[in-house]
Amino acid sequence: MSWNKVAVVGAGLIKMGELFDQSYETMAAGAFAACVESVDKGFDPSQVEAAFVATQRGTLWGQEGIGGNTIPTAIGLVGIACTRIENACPSGSDAFRVGAMAVASGVHDVVLVIGVEKMRDKSTEEGLLSRAAAGHPIFTRGETAPVLFAPFATRHMAEFGTTREMLASVAVKNHFNGARDPYAHFQNEITIEQVLASAPVCHPLHLLDCCPQTDGAAAVLLVNADRAHEFTDKPVFVAGFGLATDHPYLHEKASFTEIKATGMAAERAYAMAGISPTDIDCAEVHDCFTITEILDIEDLGFFAKGDGGRASLEGDTALAGRIPVNTSGGLLAKGHPIGATGVAQITECWWQLRGQADKRQVEIRNGYALQHNAGGRGSGVAVVNILTNRR
Amino acid sequence: MAVYIHSVGVGVPSRRLAVADINSAWNRTGGRGTVAVCADDEDALTLAWSAANSAMQAAEIEPGSVDGLWWGVTRAPFAEGPSHSILAASLSLRPTAAGALTSGSTHCGIDALFAAADAVAAGTARIAVVVVSDALRAGLGTASETRCGAAAAAFILRSDEGPAALGARTTHSQPLLDRYRGDTENDTRDLYDGRLFREEIFVPIVSEVAGRLATSKPTAWSLPDPDGRLAAAVAKNASVPPDSITSSNVFATLGDTGAAACLLGSVGAFTRVGNVAVVAYGGGRASGITIDVNRAIPGAETAARDLQSDNASSSYADVLRFRRQLTPTGETIAMGVPPEAALFTRGANEMLQLLGGRCDDCGTINTPPSIHPHCIACGGPKMEPVELARTGIVHTFVINYTMPAPFVAPLPIAVIDLDDGSRVMLQVADDGSNVEIGARMQLLLRRYAYERGAPVYGFKAVPVRKESL
Repeated sequence: MSWNKVAVVGAGLIKMGELFDQSYETMAAGAFAACVESVDKGFDPSQVEAAFVATQRGTLWGQEGIGGNTIPTAIGLVGIACTRIENACPSGSDAFRVGAMAVASGVHDVVLVIGVEKMRDKSTEEGLLSRAAAGHPIFTRGETAPVLFAPFATRHMAEFGTTREMLASVAVKNHFNGARDPYAHFQNEITIEQVLASAPVCHPLHLLDCCPQTDGAAAVLLVNADRAHEFTDKPVFVAGFGLATDHPYLHEKASFTEIKATGMAAERAYAMAGISPTDIDCAEVHDCFTITEILDIEDLGFFAKGDGGRASLEGDTALAGRIPVNTSGGLLAKGHPIGATGVAQITECWWQLRGQADKRQVEIRNGYALQHNAGGRGSGVAVVNILTNRR
Repeated sequence: MAVYIHSVGVGVPSRRLAVADINSAWNRTGGRGTVAVCADDEDALTLAWSAANSAMQAAEIEPGSVDGLWWGVTRAPFAEGPSHSILAASLSLRPTAAGALTSGSTHCGIDALFAAADAVAAGTARIAVVVVSDALRAGLGTASETRCGAAAAAFILRSDEGPAALGARTTHSQPLLDRYRGDTENDTRDLYDGRLFREEIFVPIVSEVAGRLATSKPTAWSLPDPDGRLAAAVAKNASVPPDSITSSNVFATLGDTGAAACLLGSVGAFTRVGNVAVVAYGGGRASGITIDVNRAIPGAETAARDLQSDNASSSYADVLRFRRQLTPTGETIAMGVPPEAALFTRGANEMLQLLGGRCDDCGTINTPPSIHPHCIACGGPKMEPVELARTGIVHTFVINYTMPAPFVAPLPIAVIDLDDGSRVMLQVADDGSNVEIGARMQLLLRRYAYERGAPVYGFKAVPVRKESL
């Protein structure tokens, strides 16, 4: 028996990419407009009562302080309640979760969840790579983002015989899907050979094992489920969600073959939705690196621990596979504008459950789609949201 | 009161530079042999740490029982900073330990020995650590560039009877200018006139001291030899038999190790009974001391082997980069936390002593303690401070190839299960070719960064060599 107190009645995003010509505000306005446009029975923006905005790096990279007040002005709704959520890579997923709780509480009936991220306003050296110099040396220096995930690849390969080809197959599959997603940053297909031959970034991960740096924005509209039919005849409901935490530093990890927070978050979300992993028709999961998706599909319960590499290589997660994963192209091909990522994943789930995913449409048998992000130092924060087209 | 040497240890840098490589950069042909040079995370402080650590282990003394640390280094890597206290803390000496930092010229090594011996003789220190180290940095293209090396040596001195006793000492000094580095300069200048230095400064001053020591008929000699020929000239003047000069081998293998040369050059004589003459020169001063070796000094065998160890070679360009004589254009990425900031102040001891907190309830070791008020395993709130084990095995690792300056790829980073059951994640001081899951590692003090003019030190993992397993 699902929770189903909140409905998603609109969802939209902008084309992801290196959007040098767009400001943070322009991207937000574009995503909001796409979301408004998507509401079947039309939507007057003034109906928005509150907004939750997910932006991870806005205040850290030399832009103006992004609090709650930037978005209302950018989308023409100055005065509404607005709160910024920052919770590492799951910022967008968490904003969705918090937005759903705001509606379920009865405080608000119509809530906007919007994720916006400018990744490319700073050079790679001064931006993402500057992490290498972050923090106290006792926590290691040289710790760029791939260093947070590559140790899991090394260990997964050693314990389960996972190969670089298996890792590469994740990137190949997600680029295949991305080539069918008009919003994806990369729209080209690639081969396993290309992934293997790409430059080493952080052994054992190579360039095409890594997601790009992407600017982007996405927005979804949440309403009280009892009012869903004012907006659409095909609402999608929030069936359940879960957030879990684990220790932040890698040396505190008990295991390097799982992301513990993902398993805990999933357990909570499945319990809330009253379903099991086999009920999921498709999933948008956190594939910042190829190894991450392999860990995810095991930790989310789709495959046994250690079987994720084989499953990926053999097509079990492809569009026509047993459980299609990252039909949008995932972070690897669609891109990873951090705060926007989770919200964009929700958008893909919404389209899949409503049968609007075009060339990427998968068969919806049970009516459930799962969305997942994990991140923060040591992947110590994970969020799972489950959507359904059934009430 | 008599003063005895109880042990000896050395610290040798991990890199060697071929003299021919330096010569070819300056369009000169030839050049034999190699000199010892620091990797980009080694310096006179980390070498001193290695030597002192080895000497304390060889003497089987607890760091907490050391009464003082006397350190001679021509110019400390942190010339006006807390060099001495960083070295003392990283050796886990107690905060009340005394001692001194001597510097100013290559003569400072023997100054440190004399000062420590005086403290032990006077009874103000029962156990003293003497460490001498240098990582010379000659001006680009100077003649001494092909000679300047790097290394460290350490003695444990005690008033209790030991395998070797310090004997008579002598000094001779003249206010003469020779090789120097100006106050605002980073690199040591060339000699004004090599012949003048040899005939009127070095040979007369050093011969005077050597001649005085020769009256006690030493069986082994450590003589200064900055250019590879000067020791022979002194030996001739003072009637020193060439085959008794144990320092020749060290100069040939490592180059001129500056302040460390006098003690390093005597290490080869410490494995057997004899009377060893140790002579140092620097800044217009020469001093000497005799050491009566009654039985092999603990640590001497290992030290002699370490001095001959075969290490990785580096190119001249690499070495210039390591010494920061070759720097990239543009800004480098500053550390997120300046080394003078509160986070470093809170973390200084746990970083330099590699501290953990052992949970009173479940025994799990949490590291570092300052960010773990509660246990990561059971949530318990009570911790007992412990020093982490210094060896362990690799659980998993990465090799980072993509970092902005000042980082240089490849940079391996490993998660290591230490022998005490704790787990750490540290940089590996290696190119990654020796890192694999299950590899045995030891943790050594290295320099992580230079930030706002300050060297930042911490522990790195180094693969344990197969032969020393």
